Amino acid sequence: MASGLRIVTERVGDGAGQPVLDPDNGEELMHVQPGVSIVLGNRPPESPGTLYISTKQVVWLSDTDRAKGYAVDFVSLSLHAVSRDPDAYHSPCIYTQIETGAEELESEDSDSESDNILNLSKITEMRLVPSDPNQLDTLFAIFCECAELNPDPIEAEGEDGHNWVFSADQLEDDGGEDDDSEWAIPENSSHSIGSNGNHDLAHSVVQLHINDQRFEDAEEMEQDDKNGHH
Amino acid sequence: MLSCMEMCVQLFLSVFKDLVGSEVTVELKDDLAVRGTLHAVDQFLNFKLVNVRVVDPDKHPHMFSVQNCFIRGSAVRYVQLPPNEVDVELLQDATRREARSS
Repeated sequence: MASGLRIVTERVGDGAGQPVLDPDNGEELMHVQPGVSIVLGNRPPESPGTLYISTKQVVWLSDTDRAKGYAVDFVSLSLHAVSRDPDAYHSPCIYTQIETGAEELESEDSDSESDNILNLSKITEMRLVPSDPNQLDTLFAIFCECAELNPDPIEAEGEDGHNWVFSADQLEDDGGEDDDSEWAIPENSSHSIGSNGNHDLAHSVVQLHINDQRFEDAEEMEQDDKNGHH
Repeated sequence: MLSCMEMCVQLFLSVFKDLVGSEVTVELKDDLAVRGTLHAVDQFLNFKLVNVRVVDPDKHPHMFSVQNCFIRGSAVRYVQLPPNEVDVELLQDATRREARSS
């Protein structure tokens, strides 16, 4: 499902131009960072370029070559981090991992720089190196924000045929999936599963409003739920 | 009305909320394992870790250590929890009750 890195050849506007976005589907530009070089996998850095972060994707466009650009959707970024360790990479950068959906290929090394054609589907690591390393924390925060805006689509959770729907109301109501990510950074958590916590976790699970009448006849209805799926 | 999946997520979320500040190891589906301090977790089970290092640097030399790390919930395979910080009996009890009620 994850598409991985792709080449961007289209731009709008004069000069170096800007990436083509999809505002009709709600895509907005969140941040523009000039002076960023991009490092794909083990390849040498490519620069100069400008980074465009939208609500859906990360786009890097070369400042000098209008035909050169790369983009990746946030749903394909499995991890992003601020890297300042000189042993990991010589320049401070945003390190990202890209989920390609392909199996890890052992032959990646032989394909790297000697190939004229860059096989983007094999790229699983991308670094973004800003000329101003003070921008790293800002970039990281924006990446976090946009990643939170792009959770996996709900359909993905029912891949083995079970949708785990217990009432018809659920099909309309997306109450469990808020658009705004709610981060839990509690100072004093009142719900403690720790060894010194007295709170009854089982009780709080029951408190999750199990009002559906089907729960009352759990044993009888279980068979029906598995077989009769409307 | 919460689906079973949403209730499971709530249960895990409540476990992880309690572990904020503890050291955890997150193993991703692509086999990368990172260890760090759990800084935050959200309702999509995305994780923010700080002081992160790679568990097996020989396998992943390009990512020795990073300061802040955001891990997409859907990319996670396992999270190793510190055994002293979790009341295993209570957790087993809660998951058993949940399995029974669904």
